[in-house]
Amino acid sequence: MSEAVEEKGYKSNAEVPVVVFADFVCPWSYIVQDNIDRLAVEYGVKPQWKPHWLHPEVPPEGQPAHGSSSERRDAMREWMKELSPERAAKMRSPDKLQFSFLAFEALTYAEQYDKALPFKAGVFEALWVEGKDIANVETLKDAAEGAGLDPEDLHRALAEGEYRQRTFEYVKAAQRAGIHKTPTMILGRTMIPGYHYYEVMQTALEKQGVMPMASAASE
Amino acid sequence: MERTAESGALVTYLADPATTPWRRGTTEGITFNCQVLLDGEEGGPEAIRFRFDPTLSVYAHMHLTAQFQLLIGGSMNFSRDALNLRPVGVHYTDHNTPYGPFSVGEGHDVLVLHPKQGGLMTMGNLTARREINLAGRVLQGLDSETEWTSVDGAPDVRYKVLIPHAHGPEVVMLECAPGLEVPVEAAPYGRYEVVLSGSMIADGRDLGPPGFRYTLGEERPAPVQAGPNGATLIFLTFDANALEGGLTGEGIALAAAEAMAQAI
Repeated sequence: MSEAVEEKGYKSNAEVPVVVFADFVCPWSYIVQDNIDRLAVEYGVKPQWKPHWLHPEVPPEGQPAHGSSSERRDAMREWMKELSPERAAKMRSPDKLQFSFLAFEALTYAEQYDKALPFKAGVFEALWVEGKDIANVETLKDAAEGAGLDPEDLHRALAEGEYRQRTFEYVKAAQRAGIHKTPTMILGRTMIPGYHYYEVMQTALEKQGVMPMASAASE
Repeated sequence: MERTAESGALVTYLADPATTPWRRGTTEGITFNCQVLLDGEEGGPEAIRFRFDPTLSVYAHMHLTAQFQLLIGGSMNFSRDALNLRPVGVHYTDHNTPYGPFSVGEGHDVLVLHPKQGGLMTMGNLTARREINLAGRVLQGLDSETEWTSVDGAPDVRYKVLIPHAHGPEVVMLECAPGLEVPVEAAPYGRYEVVLSGSMIADGRDLGPPGFRYTLGEERPAPVQAGPNGATLIFLTFDANALEGGLTGEGIALAAAEAMAQAI
C-alpha cells in the first residue's frame, strides 16, 4: 500500500471506492467488465456494480430495437472487434431490447452474498453470448447457480420483491450522481464516463496513489 | 517564426482548397484523399481536409493537440458517444483525447483543424493509452439541431451557436447578406473562419467553400466580408487547451509525428 493511499484514509487498496454504473443491455458495459475484473486482480480493489438503467421505458416482455440500422449494427460489430476482439468473436446481437430491472434486483440479491461479480458475469454471458432473455427468471436462476448462489432462494426473493426498493434506490442514486453514460466508472475520486481502456483506469488509480499489488508489496 | 499566443502579435493564414492539390493516403488499411491546407510547420496551425472512403470502422486514435473536425459532407458515426455527425457538424476534442472507432459514409468530406501539429496516435498503442488526457473534453454540435438567431438592428446577418462559449471552445455559424462586413474579435488561442457557402473576402483574398482564414493573437484581425452572393461562415475558436500538448519530439510524440507523416 502506498503512502498516498494511507493519506486519503484508506487502509488498503480494497477500501478505495470502485463503482461501475452499468446496464446489462449495454454492449460497452459487457466489454468493460474485463478491465474492471483485471483491476480487481492487479490492484486489489473491490469493484461494485450498480445499475444505470438505460431503458426504463422497456416493458418486461421487451420491445423491438427501433432506431438501430443494419449499418449501425454492422459498425458496432467492427468497433467491438477492435476494442475487445475475444469478446466480439462470441458476441451476438439480441433480437430485441430487453428489460433489465429484474436482473438488477437479482444483482442486489447477489451482492448480499458477496457474489455480485460472478453473478454479473453470468448475466452478461447469458445475454450477449447465449442470446437469452435476462427478464426471464430462469435465465437469472441459471446465472445464480453458476455464481454459487441458491437459485430457488433467488426466485423467492424476486417473486417477493425483496430487493426491489433497494434496487430502485440504486437507480435513483445514479441519477442523483449525474451519471449520464453507460458504463461510468468511479475510481476513487475520478469519474470516467463511458467505456475506456484498462490503461486509462490504471492511470486514474495510480495518480491517486493506488498502486498495483505487486509493486505495493515490493515497496 | 514561432507563432504562439504568448507572443501576442497577430498572425493570420489563408487557405484556399480550390488551389490545393489532392493526395491519396492510407493508414492502417483505411484509405482516403486529402488536401494539406496548412502544414503546421514552424509552430503554425495544421489543417487537413480528408475524404475517407466509406468504411465501417476507422480505428480509435487521438491527436496530441486540440482539434475541431468540421464535417461538410457525408457522415461519421462515432461509437462511444453514440454520436451521428452529419453536415454541418462539429466534433471537438482536447489534446490527447481519443475518439472512435467511427464509421464513415458515402460522400465524406471533413476539415481537421488544429492550432498546431498534432500527429496521429492509434489507441492500439498501449503506451499512448497511458498518455490519455483524463480530463479531455469531447464536444459536438449539429447545424440541424440548432435554430438561427436574428440580431436586433442587423437584418443582414443571423447566427447559430453550435458549441457555446461556456464550454471553452466555441463554434458559431453566421449567415451574411452580400457584401456584409463582419468585424471579428481577437483570438488569443486561435480561430478558424471557414466559408461554408457563398464566398468571403479575407485580407484581400476571395475564398470559396471550404476556404478559410486562421487568426491568432491578442490584436483584432481585419474584418471579413461576405462576397457578392452572400456567405455562410463558421467560426471555430480554440480556448487555452490549444497551448497544451503538441509534437514535443519526445515519447509518443515521435511515433505520432511519424504516423501522421506516413499517412498523408
